[in-house]
Amino acid sequence: MGCGMRKSEPKLKKCDRVSISVPAATAIRAALLIQRWYRQYVARLEMRRRCTWNIFQSIEYAGQQDQIKLYSFFGHLMDHFTPACSERNLISHIFRENEICRDIEWERYFCYKSVEVADSYSGPHLTFPMTFCGVSKLVEAFKHKQQLHARYVLQLLGETWRLLRILPNINHVSTCHTKEITICGDLHGHLEDLLLIFYKNGLPSLEKPYVFNGDYVDRGKNSLEILLILFGFLLLYPNDILLNRGNHEDHIVNLRYGFTKEVLGKYRVHGKKILKLLQKIFSWLPLATVIDQKVLVVHGGISDTTDLDVISRVDRHRYVSALRPPKRSLTVNGDKNQTINEEVFGQMEGRRRVCSLTYQSPVQKFNIPQRRSLHNLPISSQLNWTVEEELKRRRRQAGFNQSYGEPKKSDSDSDPESGEPTETDENEWKQIVDVLWSDPMPQNGCMPNEVRGGGCYWGPDVTQEVLEKHNLQLLIRSHECKQEGYEFCHDRRVLTIFSASNYYDLGSNRGAYIRMGPDLVPHFVQYQASRTGIELSLRQSVGHTERSALRSLRQQLFAHKSDLISAFQEYDSENTGLISQSQWASATEKVLNLGLPWRVLRPQLVSSMKDGMVDYHKWIQELSITEPKLEISDTSILETMYKNHSNLETIFRIIDTDHSGLISLEEFRQTWKLLSSHLKMDISDKAITDLAHSIDFNKDGSIDINEFMEAFRLVDLSAHTE
Amino acid sequence: MAPKKKEEPKPAPAAPKPPEPERPKTPEFDPASVTLEFTPDQIEDFKDAFQLFDRTPTNEMKITYAQCGDLIRALGQNPTNAEIMHVLGKPTAEDMQSKMLDFDQFLPMHQHICKAKDRGTFEDFVEGLRVFDKEGNGTVMGAELRHVLATLGEKMKEDEVEQLMQNQEDANGCINYEAFVKYIMAS
Repeated sequence: MGCGMRKSEPKLKKCDRVSISVPAATAIRAALLIQRWYRQYVARLEMRRRCTWNIFQSIEYAGQQDQIKLYSFFGHLMDHFTPACSERNLISHIFRENEICRDIEWERYFCYKSVEVADSYSGPHLTFPMTFCGVSKLVEAFKHKQQLHARYVLQLLGETWRLLRILPNINHVSTCHTKEITICGDLHGHLEDLLLIFYKNGLPSLEKPYVFNGDYVDRGKNSLEILLILFGFLLLYPNDILLNRGNHEDHIVNLRYGFTKEVLGKYRVHGKKILKLLQKIFSWLPLATVIDQKVLVVHGGISDTTDLDVISRVDRHRYVSALRPPKRSLTVNGDKNQTINEEVFGQMEGRRRVCSLTYQSPVQKFNIPQRRSLHNLPISSQLNWTVEEELKRRRRQAGFNQSYGEPKKSDSDSDPESGEPTETDENEWKQIVDVLWSDPMPQNGCMPNEVRGGGCYWGPDVTQEVLEKHNLQLLIRSHECKQEGYEFCHDRRVLTIFSASNYYDLGSNRGAYIRMGPDLVPHFVQYQASRTGIELSLRQSVGHTERSALRSLRQQLFAHKSDLISAFQEYDSENTGLISQSQWASATEKVLNLGLPWRVLRPQLVSSMKDGMVDYHKWIQELSITEPKLEISDTSILETMYKNHSNLETIFRIIDTDHSGLISLEEFRQTWKLLSSHLKMDISDKAITDLAHSIDFNKDGSIDINEFMEAFRLVDLSAHTE
Repeated sequence: MAPKKKEEPKPAPAAPKPPEPERPKTPEFDPASVTLEFTPDQIEDFKDAFQLFDRTPTNEMKITYAQCGDLIRALGQNPTNAEIMHVLGKPTAEDMQSKMLDFDQFLPMHQHICKAKDRGTFEDFVEGLRVFDKEGNGTVMGAELRHVLATLGEKMKEDEVEQLMQNQEDANGCINYEAFVKYIMAS
């Protein structure tokens, strides 16, 4: 093998540590053989790992897309008509900003002083102004799984809110005073990871500044504790703790991804107030941090229109949620008879597409008033509905009264959001959403991030352009889970940092943080929080995460079983019960729309093969998942409910305005009507009423949301066989 | 007057030498010369796997040169790094990260590797390890194996060696190599 062999010979003679008594040529041949096999082993593991990753990520992003679609739909309804009183309340909850209140009145509402602390309370007591002692006490208490009293929560959050209001949109920090700065990525409620970081790196202090890059909440179980600790440090060292906003610092996203539920579960009496205060706090979080004028730190990323000057000037607190663009008035410029026949959903194989929240793709040629970027109607190209007809149809389905064309009066609220929306509003909103939701891509250009539904995909040329424009040398962002906790791209000018280890499941990934000195060279520290304390080998951790992903996938498959069987039967005209592998793969992708490599996954999903054909009935049966515990006669409704249970839960929580965890039967009916309208299903009133009654388990006229969702949890029978 | 025919040239020449081996030069890889013998089903399988490595958001069905070797191995072949570089046309280190190839370019490369004769079976693999079994008792010294893998052939890095050998050595630092081979081939 040419030079290679010769080079190693002298080395061989040099080492005396281990004497190899084998002839050199044989040894080398043997080494090559083993090395080849090793590399194959690693590649196979890598393939499995990618598959697993794909599964988790597709399901996660599909969920995000789903939510955005749901909100698009609501927004559309809101914009196009004024429903009758009762129904209006329902939807307006979603879009209601605030009551007519000024900050000073809010302060009174949030006041902690009336909240008494019982003598029996055994958790930490806080005093203000915040001291180092106080924060350490807090950290210790949370380490020991104690809960902070609502009084102190409100007090701490109140102080935080006051502080955040005087912070700029873009934090500037310098390494010259402190030698090194630490930068952390997504934490997502993983308290163990935050504690691990503090353990390895030390607590924040004047000499040890930290930048936290958003996504503190949702998914993990200790989102609130993380916030309280970070805010505690913020109050203590306001110049040395820098908190960026992430896309999950958004009360609407929280409805779906668990933070709302966490708070309400931990604080039954004051949860609602706490959530409201957090809503304000999130909107006041700074959007970016710049280190030494050279390194930009934002949660998501950038787009081709990103302009830090614009961002530094916006009223950031007006943009409470990415899913609520600036309100717009209805201007139907004689467009009543325009036909919409462009398919919004693209034909690209393997990926779901939804209009991005912010990006107007030049391909789409809608003729409806263009200022709404979020609310493009998903209409099939086969139907030539006019706008009018479609709206009428939907309104009818949702049971709303017909009123059309009234300019919406803007809800007055404490924030200066009244009046006509302007170009500036939309542009500003786009700047913010892009910065919180975008992802990098390898190719040049900038396009809508249709997998997530918000922000853009941006390429190396955009990185170059934006960094140069602002005289920067590095972009640090988070937002995407990375196996090693961090990853460079775009010629090492973009760095992703992710600090929640085991994000998808135990063993799925490490977390990492960055240490950076005045030379602005990032140094990484990786870690993996481990519950068992046992180091899993690479293969074991791949195996474990893989099994978990396959379980999730099987549940998705099971939830769609009717649709799958119909799709399979289309290929099986003679009703043999068998279809080919290719047919199985195409049909499954068509139904689930997750963009997964089904042929690669087949050996692990399908065991019932007959002569290379798939016995699909048997396969569906073998998915081994039990039905949800609800007893409802109409199984197709049941299946629809299961498929959309995240959406259902989201709607419930919106409706449950007093956060009691209960909604009335009437509200349930309205929810269901809304959902079926969104899904373009026709369900009779009677069916819905029957449904509502059968779910009311204790027959008292109201439905307990948690109970309801629990009843939906599917049990994977195959899980116990590991 | 012919100089003594040596296999290797004299060391430390005055001018930098081109890194050409002295034996007959292997012809450059010509994808057009490869006849594809895969079945349509196999090609579909490869496509799926190819897509898995495709990281372009628009599903352009392209992978980087650096991923080509991993993909071929993930599909069940075990070429050497040299063989991979050969079918890629001896790219530079920069090419490996930035150049992309599509599925049609990938197929002949994969086919060529599949046709290679010296594939190495389970027995070959065991034989390869037996070479280091000094006492003929079915075990090799972990330390020796580590050393060999890190210094000979297409050297592995220390952490790669570590990963391979994780939990394989017994209390005496020995590895039962048949079991080891079975373990490697099982994943």
